[in-house]
Amino acid sequence: MTTQAIGTSRGGIDAGIAVRAYLAVTGIVLLLMMLFGFTMRLAQAQWINIEPNTFYMILTMHGSGMVGITGLSGAAVMWYFVRRHVPVSTGVFVANLVFFLVGALLILGSGFIGGFAGAWTFLYPLPEHSGGLWSANAAAFYMLGLLVIGVGFLLLHLDVLRGIISVYGGLGAGLGAKQAFGLAPEKDGPPPAVAAATMASISNIVGIVIGAVVLVLMLVTLYVPSFTFNTLLAKNLIYYFGHTFINVTIYMAVIAVYEILPMHTHRAWKTNRAFYLAWVLSTLMVLTVYPHHLLMDFAMPTWMLIAGQIISWVSGLPVLLVTAFGALTNVYRSGIKWSVAAGLVFIGVAGWAIGVIPAIADGTVIVNSVMHNTQWVPGHFHTYLLLGMVAMMLGFMAYIGGGRAPSRLGPAGLWTFLIGGAIFVLAFLAGGAASVPRRYAVHLPGWLPYDRVGVIGAGLVVIGTSLLVTRFFLALRSPMSGDGIR
Amino acid sequence: MIQNTVWDVSIILMGSVAAIFIGVAAGAPVALENYGPAIASAYRMRVWLFILAAVVLVAVNWRTLGELPYVSASAQGTPGIQRVDAVGEQWSWTISPTHFTVGETAEFHVTSKDVNHDFALYGPDMRIVTQVQAMPGYTNILRYTFKKPGIYRVLCLEYCGIGHTEMMSDIKVAAAKSVTGKTP
Ligand code: HEM
Ligand SMILES: [Cu+2]
Ligand SMILES: [Cu+2]
Repeated sequence: MTTQAIGTSRGGIDAGIAVRAYLAVTGIVLLLMMLFGFTMRLAQAQWINIEPNTFYMILTMHGSGMVGITGLSGAAVMWYFVRRHVPVSTGVFVANLVFFLVGALLILGSGFIGGFAGAWTFLYPLPEHSGGLWSANAAAFYMLGLLVIGVGFLLLHLDVLRGIISVYGGLGAGLGAKQAFGLAPEKDGPPPAVAAATMASISNIVGIVIGAVVLVLMLVTLYVPSFTFNTLLAKNLIYYFGHTFINVTIYMAVIAVYEILPMHTHRAWKTNRAFYLAWVLSTLMVLTVYPHHLLMDFAMPTWMLIAGQIISWVSGLPVLLVTAFGALTNVYRSGIKWSVAAGLVFIGVAGWAIGVIPAIADGTVIVNSVMHNTQWVPGHFHTYLLLGMVAMMLGFMAYIGGGRAPSRLGPAGLWTFLIGGAIFVLAFLAGGAASVPRRYAVHLPGWLPYDRVGVIGAGLVVIGTSLLVTRFFLALRSPMSGDGIR
Repeated sequence: MIQNTVWDVSIILMGSVAAIFIGVAAGAPVALENYGPAIASAYRMRVWLFILAAVVLVAVNWRTLGELPYVSASAQGTPGIQRVDAVGEQWSWTISPTHFTVGETAEFHVTSKDVNHDFALYGPDMRIVTQVQAMPGYTNILRYTFKKPGIYRVLCLEYCGIGHTEMMSDIKVAAAKSVTGKTP
């Protein structure tokens, strides 16, 4: 297997600078979106007063912005590590960042100028039924923004797969399919970063293409009112895209765990048959489990909903029994000297594994009947996104740029983030168990205690994340510091 | 109530996983001299964990998939069941009838005139008892047998624009008529 010389620049742009640019954009956007989230929580707690139209606009921006930025930073993790094993283009990587920034501007414009508040799931036909709140043009800008971002990701994933095929000969080989089914020796399998990148790229390409189809159809309906299409079909396509994209962010970020923990424990990440099998099965499941978003759509074929429940349950196993188990055995009595980077990626695995539990519960039809679209849902997804994906990504950030930063900042940030995050997600989950709906700008008096505890947790998360991001920016001043790429 | 069970079980499982991570992290700085046997026994433990997970998975799915809320088309119009029409639109519900007695089964025919809404039925204690999506172009059928007297409320649980939180509507459920002469 070829190992590309680290630090070589292709297309005239230095890879190290490109990765840092991704992370710098991530740090800023992440903090901004967290402030939006904090604002919503304050409004729900009735400690500040904002109009519902502003609340829903912020909700739309927070949802799209967070999903986008986790996608972007996940791509940075994937690209950085997969590049050690296969040739990839820095030009394409940078192009994705440019597409992202252009798309983000369109989306921010649609919200802050056009007042678009159709939520990041832009459920057809809501974008064209705003009740006078936003114009067709605002909705169109939003959708164009998503399309532009999608194009960038499509190019990046195609380039990664091209690189993987050029070294391993095929996508099955990149995933370790032969190893998974015992047809080839485990030791000849691809490294974890390559298996994960293959899975993430295949899945995201499928999801983005489906998302592009529904976005284009909806753009047409905005301007040609006589053209309509089936609302249930639209819902299927939208959730297919949304589910896949947001899940893939975790599958990309987890590469940071596979790479950073072993550097600290001096034990290689065990890539055995179960590992490859988990990735093969995860690919299949991430592409088929989306009907769990439609369990309350009784018009769906019942067999699809039953399959949605069963696949939801099964898809938890690879996470818990392979990645979480792998991280635990890798760290167990290893003599590790904990660093901020290692601590954060370890928290990330825990957050992912813990968040999967309430998610699986909600994927059960009879539970979904009483928990669907309550705050149980932001409760579980903030657990595996904030305490899972984002923790892994902040770990990567600390690894790339934390080497020479002031020593106190990191640990203080880590603990504040962790404690605040736990309070924040538990407040959502408790609210959900008490039937507090999600996406409500105005809360009933009985719901306020949950919201107020949530505000405290959210505030701590914002502080903790600010410290960690500051640490990253301070380290940028010392040229190419830390243990990152030179 | 399902919510309480789900909360309890989730918190116990989440707490257990968290405890394992904390325990391993706290003990990790002290290196184990001989990692080989420890790892081997961990992987043996994983086989048992897998078997346990598989058993739980099959049992829970077997049990819960037997109680699906989906009403088959052939079962519609069963005698003794009160048909109720529920139509959502931006931003109100039209529901009729809205008065029931405890023990009565309502069959809600739920649809929407414009965008996606969600018909969520809250009990007198403001906990959700059941729900179904309200979609333009589709009529979803949801059955519920009222168990407690009081005011039930219908809330919209699918984001539908600026008036989303205003889509609240009341349903009154009277106590069952006491059948005189039957009390022992
Ligand atoms: C300080 C951190 C954060 C705070 C305070 C926060 C707060 C919130 C709040 C208040 C909501 C609306 C809840 C409701 O429906 O009632 C929300 C929704 C959401 N958040 Fe966050 N959040 C944070 C971090 C994140 C992160 C890291 C992600 C990563 C992907 C994320 C993704 C989302 C998504 C996708 C939604 C759903 C939007 C919708 O319902 O349309 N959030 N968040
Ligand atoms: Cu509604
Ligand atoms: Cu609504």
